[in-house]
Amino acid sequence: MPAMTRDWFSGQVVRCQTALFRTARTILKSDQDAEDAVQEAILSAYASLAALREPEKFKPWILRILTNKCYDVCRKSHPSVALSDVEEVIPASGTDCTERLSLWQAVEQLPPDFRTVITLFYYEDLNIRQIGGVLGLSQAAVKTRLHRGRERLKILLGEEGTNDGSV
Amino acid sequence: MMDQFDERIRRMAREEAFPLPEDYAGRVFATCAALEEKIVKTKTHKTFGRALIGVAAALAVFVAVPNLSAPAAAAMARIPVLGPIVEVITFRRYTHDDGHAHADVSVPEVQGGGSAAASVNADVQQYTDQLIGQFKADCAQLGEAYEGLNVSYRTVTDTEDWFTLRVDALETQASGYQFSKIYNIDKKTDQVVKLDGLFKAGSNWQAVLTDEVKRQMEHPPEGETYFAEDFTGVAADRNYYFDADGNLVLAFDEYEVAPGSMGAVEFTIAKSVYQALLK
Repeated sequence: MPAMTRDWFSGQVVRCQTALFRTARTILKSDQDAEDAVQEAILSAYASLAALREPEKFKPWILRILTNKCYDVCRKSHPSVALSDVEEVIPASGTDCTERLSLWQAVEQLPPDFRTVITLFYYEDLNIRQIGGVLGLSQAAVKTRLHRGRERLKILLGEEGTNDGSV
Repeated sequence: MMDQFDERIRRMAREEAFPLPEDYAGRVFATCAALEEKIVKTKTHKTFGRALIGVAAALAVFVAVPNLSAPAAAAMARIPVLGPIVEVITFRRYTHDDGHAHADVSVPEVQGGGSAAASVNADVQQYTDQLIGQFKADCAQLGEAYEGLNVSYRTVTDTEDWFTLRVDALETQASGYQFSKIYNIDKKTDQVVKLDGLFKAGSNWQAVLTDEVKRQMEHPPEGETYFAEDFTGVAADRNYYFDADGNLVLAFDEYEVAPGSMGAVEFTIAKSVYQALLK
């Protein structure tokens, strides 16, 4: 087991810095807010490093701290954000295939409930249990959001009708 | 299981350039560089134990109130007036506040009553102990992370024949999660009655209730939606109670059959739908 020094911690942070920003950006609306949340999460994580029991689980651990920071920002700036306020945009039928969205553009158009779960699953390769741990959700809730997020992603990416039975 | 769609999305996620803000990497580096040097040893049983003791001693407050005076009990609980059940009191209250994590758990106890009440009390104790234990474990593991646990209760029904106690919980971590446990006691038989215990053996109550819930899911409140495809049917132990008009209300936890934005949802089944199937 490694001694958890500042250098060890910094190395872990740098290794997952893209994951941190991307995850924050699924919850917060601006790059600036996301950067601030990441910085706060880094400071909080370092302050509570002694609570990290398994160093190999650094990434889901710090993502959990980060999402708590992000939701704290949301609560302070928008006491309640209704799903309908940030509803996704579904492209009109007949969208030109040459104008298809990039994956991230499509993810950004998902409702927030689905956006973070989809990002953690596809971009960060976390499993259902880990996502539940990061977001404080039951595994059933994660599966539900993932299933519905995937269906909407298919529509956004122009893959409606793709047949699958996973998750 | 991974399918072709999942594989394609994972490939896109790996291959597409992700747009990080120009100054982001520098800011992360500067934040890390400014951290003060320290060495945290990998957890041992000793340090873990000390952390738990610290949490328990400094932050947790248990208040046992089994012998409340009548006025105090009246202030803390709704006092039933009929039947063998005398009252519901707050048997124990657990609170916690360290500036990051907050908990307020009221553990009810049904006083008076027979074996059914005792059974409910035992289950409630075990259930709330489990919630509090999980909360403490999360606090110990997550340090300064934001956690919340609120548990409250209320007497839903208290008539000569019937008693219903509802225990509602809200866990707040990244987002909130509302869930409930509802206990129904038939005072005439002194039995805890689960949903399937209401209906005649061999009747098609499950299909009838399932069809009615599905029908209501197809007509959600304006602007909202249910996860109809995730609803597999009304289970024998589904949470339920009777409303003031005698209609059956089926209660679902948050996220079970609807998006989190709808919170915990309930379906009211008109008496006319199920009455003929009752025992």
